Amino acid sequence: MNTVDTTSLAAADALEGLSEQPKSFGRLAWERFIHHRLALVGLIGLILIVASFFIGPMVNDYAFDKPDVLNRLQGPSREHWFGTDEIGRDLFVRTARGGRYSILIGLLSALVSTAVGTLIGATAGYFGKAIDAVIAQVINLVLVVPGLIVLSVFALNFGSNWWRLSLVLAALSWVRIARVARGVVLSIKEQDYVMAARAAGASHTRILFRHILPNVVGAVTVEITLLVGSIIVLESTLSFLGLGVRPPDTSLGRLVADAKGNIDNDPLRVLTPGLVIVLIVLCVNFLGDGLRDALDPRARSNRDD
Amino acid sequence: MTTEPLLRVDHLEVGFPSKAGVVQAVTDVSFEVRPGETLAVVGESGSGKSVTALTVMRLHPKSTRISGSIMFEGRDLLALDDDEVRAVRGNEIAMIFQDPMTALNPVFSVGSQIVESIRIHQKVSKQAAWNRAVELLALVGVPEPKRRAEQYPHEYSGGMRQRAMIAMAISNEPKLLIADEPTTALDVTVQAQVMDVLHDVQQATGSAMMLITHDLGLVAGSADRVQVMYASRLVETGGVDDIFYRSRNPYTRALLDSIPDLLATSARLEPIPGNPPSLLNPPSGCPFRPRCLMAIEHCAESVPELVSIGEGHASRCHRTADIEPTAEATS
Repeated sequence: MNTVDTTSLAAADALEGLSEQPKSFGRLAWERFIHHRLALVGLIGLILIVASFFIGPMVNDYAFDKPDVLNRLQGPSREHWFGTDEIGRDLFVRTARGGRYSILIGLLSALVSTAVGTLIGATAGYFGKAIDAVIAQVINLVLVVPGLIVLSVFALNFGSNWWRLSLVLAALSWVRIARVARGVVLSIKEQDYVMAARAAGASHTRILFRHILPNVVGAVTVEITLLVGSIIVLESTLSFLGLGVRPPDTSLGRLVADAKGNIDNDPLRVLTPGLVIVLIVLCVNFLGDGLRDALDPRARSNRDD
Repeated sequence: MTTEPLLRVDHLEVGFPSKAGVVQAVTDVSFEVRPGETLAVVGESGSGKSVTALTVMRLHPKSTRISGSIMFEGRDLLALDDDEVRAVRGNEIAMIFQDPMTALNPVFSVGSQIVESIRIHQKVSKQAAWNRAVELLALVGVPEPKRRAEQYPHEYSGGMRQRAMIAMAISNEPKLLIADEPTTALDVTVQAQVMDVLHDVQQATGSAMMLITHDLGLVAGSADRVQVMYASRLVETGGVDDIFYRSRNPYTRALLDSIPDLLATSARLEPIPGNPPSLLNPPSGCPFRPRCLMAIEHCAESVPELVSIGEGHASRCHRTADIEPTAEATS
C-alpha cells in the first residue's frame, strides 16, 4: 500500500517536471549551486568570517591600536577573545581588522585583475594574429617576473595603504586571468554560433561581449577564486615580511610575524591569524568550485553530489 | 525571364592559400538567383558549394583569394566595406547553418537570440522584438511559442532548433536565404518537416533561396533550378526537370544513379567509384575523368567548357553530344 503510494507520487512528480515552466539560466545555476554541498559550506563560512570581521569589533569595546599595558600577553578569555599582544592590544579586534584588509585586498585586486585580464585575454584570443602574438608575449613576460621581489620593491615605495597594494598585486595577477580567458576564447570563437552571429550581421564588439564572454564566465570564475586565495596568501607573505600595511595598522600576515618571536611560549598567537588565512582561502576555493559547476552553460540538470 | 536577377555571381574564383599551395575551392563559377526562386546547389563534400555560399556572405577567412564579382541588387558585395557588409548580413541575405546543435549560443534563451538578430538591423523596442520572435517561432511551427521562446537551446530537440534557426534567419525578412545543408544534421523524419517549413517561410516572405545540399532527394521536391558542382566548378545547370530527366552530364547521371530508389528494379545501389580529386593539384583535363565511365583520351587534354544545351540548361562535358538526352526518362 505504502509503496504504491510513493511510486505514483514519484510519477506525478515526474509529470509535473515535464509541464514545468522553463527556468531561467540564473535560476538553474542557483539551484545547481545550492545543491553543491562544499560550495554552500564555503559560502556560509565566508559570510560568517566576514560578518565577524565587520560586526565583531563593534560589539567589542577595544580599539585595534589602543595599548593596555596592564593586560599584556594574555591568553584567550571572555574579555579578550583571542588574547592580547605585548602592549596589551586586543588580538581579536586586530585579527578582524587584519582580516578585513586581507579580504578587501583580495577582492579589489581580483576584481581589477579580472576586468583587465578578461578584456586583454579575450581580445588576444578573438582577434588572433599580431595582436595575439604581442599580448601573449606580454603575458609570458609578466608570468616569469618573480612576483615577490617586484612586490617588495613596489610595496616599499607605494604600498602604504591597502588599495595601492591591491593595484600592485593586480598588476601582477591579471595575466593569470588573461591566459585562461585567451584559451577559452580561442576555442569558443570557432563555434558555429559565432559564425552564425557574424552571418546575422553582428559586429566584432557585439560578438565578443554578447556571444563569447558569457561563455568564458565559468572558466574565469574558477580562476578568480583561486586568484583571490593566492592574492590573500601573497599579501600575508608581504605583510609577514613587513612590507604590507604599515603599523599601527595590521594585517593577518603581520600578526603572524608579530607573534613569531614568541612561538615557543605562545603558539596560539601564531596559529590564530594563520588559521584565519587558511579558512578564508579554503572557503573561497570551495565557493569557486561550486560556482564553476553552477555556471557551466552546458550542465543540464542538478547533479546529485 | 525578364526579371532582374537578385544575385548575380560572375566568374567567381576562390582560393585558400596554404603551406602546400593554393587550394582552389571555386573556379569560374557564374550563376544567378532570381527573386523568389529556389536554386539548389548540389555536389559532394569539397565541391565548393559551401565556399560559394560563404563567399556570398563574405564569411571567408581574410587570407582568401577572391576574384570575380558578386552583384546583389546591383551592388558588388565584394567591394563593400565591413560596415556595409554587416548591414547586408542577416538583413538582406540570411543564412541557415548545417548543424543547429552548435549554431545556437548555449547561454541565451532562444527568444533572446531571435530578439538580438532583429535588433541588430531594426530599431524596435525589446518588447516589440520579443513579440515578433514569438510570432516567428509560431510561424516556423514551434509549439507553445510563448513558453518555448524563454527556453534555452539545450531544451530544444534538433528539429526544433533548426526551426528556431530558420525563425532567426527570416527575422528581418531577407530577400535571399542561404540554407547550407539545412537538414543534414537531422533525422530523416524531421528533414521533411524542416523542408516544409522552409517552403512555407519562403511563400510567406517571398524570399529567394539558395539551397546547398548533397541530397538530390531534397532538391527534387523543393528547387526551381539546380546547379551541380564538382571539384570547384559548375558541371551542369538547369531547371529541376532538366537535371532529373534530361541530364546530359556523366557526373550528374552518376549522382542520380546513387540515389536509393524504393521502386528500383536492380537491387544494388550504384555508388560513384573513387573520391573527388585534390583541389591542390587537380588532375589534368576534366577533373571527373578518373572516375568517369565515359572518359576518352580527349578528356585528359583540356577542361571542357560549360556549353548551353537548351533553354537555361548547360553542361560541362566533352561528350555532351554523345549522351542521350532522354535516357533518364525510362526510370
